[in-house]
Amino acid sequence: MPPTVSASGLSLHYGRTRALDDVSLRLAPGVTGLLGPNGAGKTTLLRVLATAVPPDRGAFTALGHDPGTPQGRQEVRRRLGYLPQTPGFHPDFTAFEFVDYVAILKELADRGDRHREVRRVLEEVGLGDVRGRRIRKLSGGMRQRVALAAALVGDPGFLVLDEPTVGLDPEQRMRFRELIAGAGEGRTVLLSTHQTEDVAMLCHRVIVMAEGAVRFDGTPAELTARATGRVWSSTERDPGAKAGWRTGTGSFRNVGDPPAGADLVDPTLEDGYLLALDGIGTEVTA
Amino acid sequence: MSIEDSRRRDTWHVDEDDLRAYARGALAAPALWSADAHLTACATCRGVLAGVSDAAALDAGWERLDAELDAPRPGRFERLLVRCGAGDGTARLLAATPVLRRSWLGALAAVLVTTCLVAYSAGAVGRPTLFLAFAPLLPLASVALAYGPAVDPTYEMAVVSPMHGFRLLMIRTVAVLVVALAVGGAAALALPGYGAAALAWLLPGLALTAAGLAVTPRLGPVAGPSVVAVVWAAVLLVADAGRASADGPLAPFTAAGQGVSGAVAVLGAGLLFLFRDRFDVSGRRAV
Repeated sequence: MPPTVSASGLSLHYGRTRALDDVSLRLAPGVTGLLGPNGAGKTTLLRVLATAVPPDRGAFTALGHDPGTPQGRQEVRRRLGYLPQTPGFHPDFTAFEFVDYVAILKELADRGDRHREVRRVLEEVGLGDVRGRRIRKLSGGMRQRVALAAALVGDPGFLVLDEPTVGLDPEQRMRFRELIAGAGEGRTVLLSTHQTEDVAMLCHRVIVMAEGAVRFDGTPAELTARATGRVWSSTERDPGAKAGWRTGTGSFRNVGDPPAGADLVDPTLEDGYLLALDGIGTEVTA
Repeated sequence: MSIEDSRRRDTWHVDEDDLRAYARGALAAPALWSADAHLTACATCRGVLAGVSDAAALDAGWERLDAELDAPRPGRFERLLVRCGAGDGTARLLAATPVLRRSWLGALAAVLVTTCLVAYSAGAVGRPTLFLAFAPLLPLASVALAYGPAVDPTYEMAVVSPMHGFRLLMIRTVAVLVVALAVGGAAALALPGYGAAALAWLLPGLALTAAGLAVTPRLGPVAGPSVVAVVWAAVLLVADAGRASADGPLAPFTAAGQGVSGAVAVLGAGLLFLFRDRFDVSGRRAV
């Protein structure tokens, strides 16, 4: 299957800070998870791929167009859905008015078609019944769904979601995962998240970033397999472990290079993620 | 009685070919108006229309109508804009303009009223310097607060939308300028002692606004207009120092000064147009 997005050598600096360092990747239809600690460059990569900010170096194509040219950028934006990390709202708008506003920005000129599309996406995210309610009166989870509805306007082929599950309670998070799974059918979705559970439940592929660079690119199973034979249980935290924390049973779970005779346990995606970061900001002791 | 019998007996009905065209949405005025009027009163022709209509197209039409009827009623500000002749899309874009909120308009009016009161209490009626120095900053500030990541909560969504950033900027700028100039003009009328001289702020106001927008792509939406405001203050201080008499007008408000303001406004507008593509991407900011 041809990639929806193909990027090569993307680099970007904010002053002296290197936010992206020679990032290359290819995205195909389905949900791809983007994992990494704070400051890893996830949001910067998403903003570049969403055409919000051009890279200093490198290039990419999305949906068959080159966003480096004004015409190509316009074409990509016509088929792009973007949910920023902190989506802003005009609080006096109703849910319907806000999504309609985004639909106007997306050049849906015909009023009747536009209103039908707004109603469709609000129904899709389960907000059809509260479409006339002001945004300031909606809960955090509902606002996040309004933002997702806005991203889905126009049936985009490439959906960029920046930490959409942050701040949601477990029930809302599950609801949102169902919505993202649905949105990922037939589309290319790039999902930035801190939650390895999001990746385990939603993604056919995962990219791990740290310090602006890609540290891992593969399937969740491959990331988990990286930790095979490198996770062990002990009664005390092993000082030789890259990361270790006390579990609910009182024993310590250690990740790294096990000592001889260690009590090896089955790895999880989170173990593979910690090892992919290779010690960067992963010193977990509890 | 069949529909055909009924059609033969009545005096006039819409031609069946016209009904087919009507169903396809291809019937042109004035035949369209005739058909519209006749169909509301003639069940026979409505029956024929139902028979010749494509069921899928008919369903789509009903769905469109349903969606339209179901859309929540727009707010008062949007309805006012539509009544003033704005398209419904433009009205919604303007309703989302941060600076066109009641709070800002109230603040704008309050600042101008305060300026007028200060001008009066200082016994400066007849010498509109304070008002003229201050008033050009209002359109500059208003336009600066109409667009950009610092004031527009949906800026990030807007910048990656297919609508060109410059177009959105211009729609908002024109609307905000009209409001700021109207409020400023009303304030000038509140100072009748100044006469026509009270309008000498208009061209400097346009010059500052155009210059502020022109430097925004390079300096940013906050620093750009701020720098222009500082330059304006410096110009006034220099003009005050070089004034021939204490009662004379400052240089920017003389005929020559107005000419310079006009030239700066044109130059700024030209540069703004030249740099229009820079409004199509977001500024650099660490996240």
